[in-house]
Amino acid sequence: MRAQRYGRLQEQLDVHGVDGLVLLASASVAYAAGVDEPARDGDTAALFRTVVVVARGDDAPHVFTSLADGFPAELPDDHRHGPLFPDLDDGIGEFAAALGAHFPHGSRIGVDDQTHSMLRALREFTWIDASPVLGAAKVTKTPDEVACIRRAQRINELAMADVLGILRPGMRQVDLSAKFLRRIFELGACANGIDPIWQVMAPHRDLGPWTLHGGLAYPTVTTDRFLREGDVIWVDSGITWQGYASDYGRTWITSVDPTPNAQQQAHFRRWRSVVDAALEILRPGVSGGELGRAAIEANGGTRPWIEHFYLAHGVGTESAEMPLIGTDLGDQFDEQLIIAPGMVIVFEPVIFEDGAAGYRSEDIVAVTDTGWVKLSGSTYEPYGVPA
Amino acid sequence: MSPVARDRGLSAGVMALEDGARVDFGRLRHARRARVLGAMKDRDLDAVMLGGVGNVRYVSGARSLGRAGVLPFAPVAVVVRATGRVHLLSTWDEGVPPEIDRDCLYGLTWNPANLMASVAAIPGVGRSGRIGTDGLTPMFAEMLSSALPSAEIVDAAALLASVRRTKIDDEITCIDVAAAIAESALSALEDALAPGVTERELLGLYYERICDRGTPVAPSESVCFASESTGPVTFRYLASDRPIREGELVILAPSALYAGYQAGLARTRVAGGAATPAAVRLTDRCARSMDALLDACRAGNTGADLYRAWQDADNGEPPVPLAHGLGLGAEAPLIGLGRGRDATLEEGMVLSVQSWVTEDGVGGCLERSTVRIEAGGPSAITRYGRLS
Repeated sequence: MRAQRYGRLQEQLDVHGVDGLVLLASASVAYAAGVDEPARDGDTAALFRTVVVVARGDDAPHVFTSLADGFPAELPDDHRHGPLFPDLDDGIGEFAAALGAHFPHGSRIGVDDQTHSMLRALREFTWIDASPVLGAAKVTKTPDEVACIRRAQRINELAMADVLGILRPGMRQVDLSAKFLRRIFELGACANGIDPIWQVMAPHRDLGPWTLHGGLAYPTVTTDRFLREGDVIWVDSGITWQGYASDYGRTWITSVDPTPNAQQQAHFRRWRSVVDAALEILRPGVSGGELGRAAIEANGGTRPWIEHFYLAHGVGTESAEMPLIGTDLGDQFDEQLIIAPGMVIVFEPVIFEDGAAGYRSEDIVAVTDTGWVKLSGSTYEPYGVPA
Repeated sequence: MSPVARDRGLSAGVMALEDGARVDFGRLRHARRARVLGAMKDRDLDAVMLGGVGNVRYVSGARSLGRAGVLPFAPVAVVVRATGRVHLLSTWDEGVPPEIDRDCLYGLTWNPANLMASVAAIPGVGRSGRIGTDGLTPMFAEMLSSALPSAEIVDAAALLASVRRTKIDDEITCIDVAAAIAESALSALEDALAPGVTERELLGLYYERICDRGTPVAPSESVCFASESTGPVTFRYLASDRPIREGELVILAPSALYAGYQAGLARTRVAGGAATPAAVRLTDRCARSMDALLDACRAGNTGADLYRAWQDADNGEPPVPLAHGLGLGAEAPLIGLGRGRDATLEEGMVLSVQSWVTEDGVGGCLERSTVRIEAGGPSAITRYGRLS
């Protein structure tokens, strides 16, 4: 898998006429080199970041890290290096020297993130955005990548099933996080990617958080808020396995008897029919625009997704990556986005009816040569019947 | 009536108290913002655009969603000197402090052009001559120069690092609370440590404990590892499935976040039975080296003094830092790994200081503390029994 990914990056360097990549952000570091890193938050992750250098024509990536146990096994010794600190002026000379060893003056180098220290120290290169090279390589997945996503998803779902089992009035959001985060590591997760979300949905839009666009706020951050009888919660969690993200979204009901009422079941059925309408036409060659229109039509002409999000997004070494469908990138973008074999797509439409809180779940599929296969589980307790 | 509780320990809790004791977050946010605006004036910056997690938190005080890893630069918070206002990338107002008005929010977008348009439209940005950023990407650099052609884009990372370097009292209180949570996690790890348990299980228990204390985001998932009792010893970051064996030296190194502020500590314990004489010698050396490092953590000293203290305790350069700043996550100065010899320690800094020593065939021993540099010397923020 690592060799195939690296081969794709080298191909794209040729296609785009780029001399190499300098990668500083976690998702591209994971993709380009397969470095296994512990999850770290914010500035801790940044100060101790792993740096990957990909030189066009080189057999393997150069990895610069302080994590002795994170190197991929096959990485040659002369491609393993101690850490660089692009965030600090102190030591930026070493950073410049490390890049100078692979790139002559005037090289065109793709980069995913820059610090002012490195910009000051490295004026001899032409920096371009790495995203066209990375995006082209990442947008379709190899069978091994799909298997990693499936594995991550399975761990995520098993842990969430255990969390659902403890949901009762009087639990706090952080109590659900406690159960989830313990279980994912017992079940084999490599890392947790995002603070798990247990957002209580106000039944009326006006009772939820104020938003710029007047629509729903989602996701809001977990606190020690108590979950109380009747609270409808939209849950969302993302763990990683071998660098690959998963994405679990469901709607749960906090109650001693969490049986959805007729209106809630109707919301679930509508959600299901929206996803089914998109899946019905999903195959290589269909456009993002066509998928969006199918979803809107199944929802009676109304757009069934959150204003600031999407009908669907890809997943890979990022929890949301291309292909994005239904975003503010616009209709033309969606029309030009053509589904291809190997894309992994998370459908997450939202049904909301003022006064009743609504329904949101996520279905993950991998696009095959002729259609799709589902990577996520097909139960939606406490709603509905298996799809 | 005493204006400030004399017993600072009262603040080491996560629940709001009806008398308003504990951290006054409004005062903390006001003080941080004033520091940033003052530094912008000193450095003649009209606006700053920030993407770093700690920097965004420092200027906004917003509760943002915890996400692991490094994300590429994007302008998540914007401070305008002329208006004194902080603008934030947030589509909703939950988690946003009250002084950031709704008209100071700009919305989540997947389209960089829309994001740039929102930022350029912030009152005062268009007239800014010098705009600082704490990072860039080639795409944002190009978009900034085309949306704001008369603005000079300069470094704001150094400005934020300078105001964040020393901590005010409310920040210390937050770090104190984080320290108490990390200590609580260490107790949970110690209770569970026994031959047969795996590092993964310990990591799960760590998370369970910090969540139970109300703070579910981990600064790092490098929380524990058993050191090799045969052959060379590696400092490992990734939790394994292998059951821990009796007699192994196990490193327990939990940390925690409270309101974004980080503290952590580490102790090394023997799994199961008693330590061998060789393990006792190693842990003694670890403690001696730690004392030497801590003694060097004085205002006016430099990183070179820590290097010297470490070497004088008969140690070679370790594969981990000797010390680094702590606040809203890890910060400069970084001392160790070849860096930070010239960094000067100042009163009011908070450091994570650690002693990692190894002996082939015996194992490794780590001790880590969070310390504050005070006028009279270093003061331990984390507290825990040293050695078993």
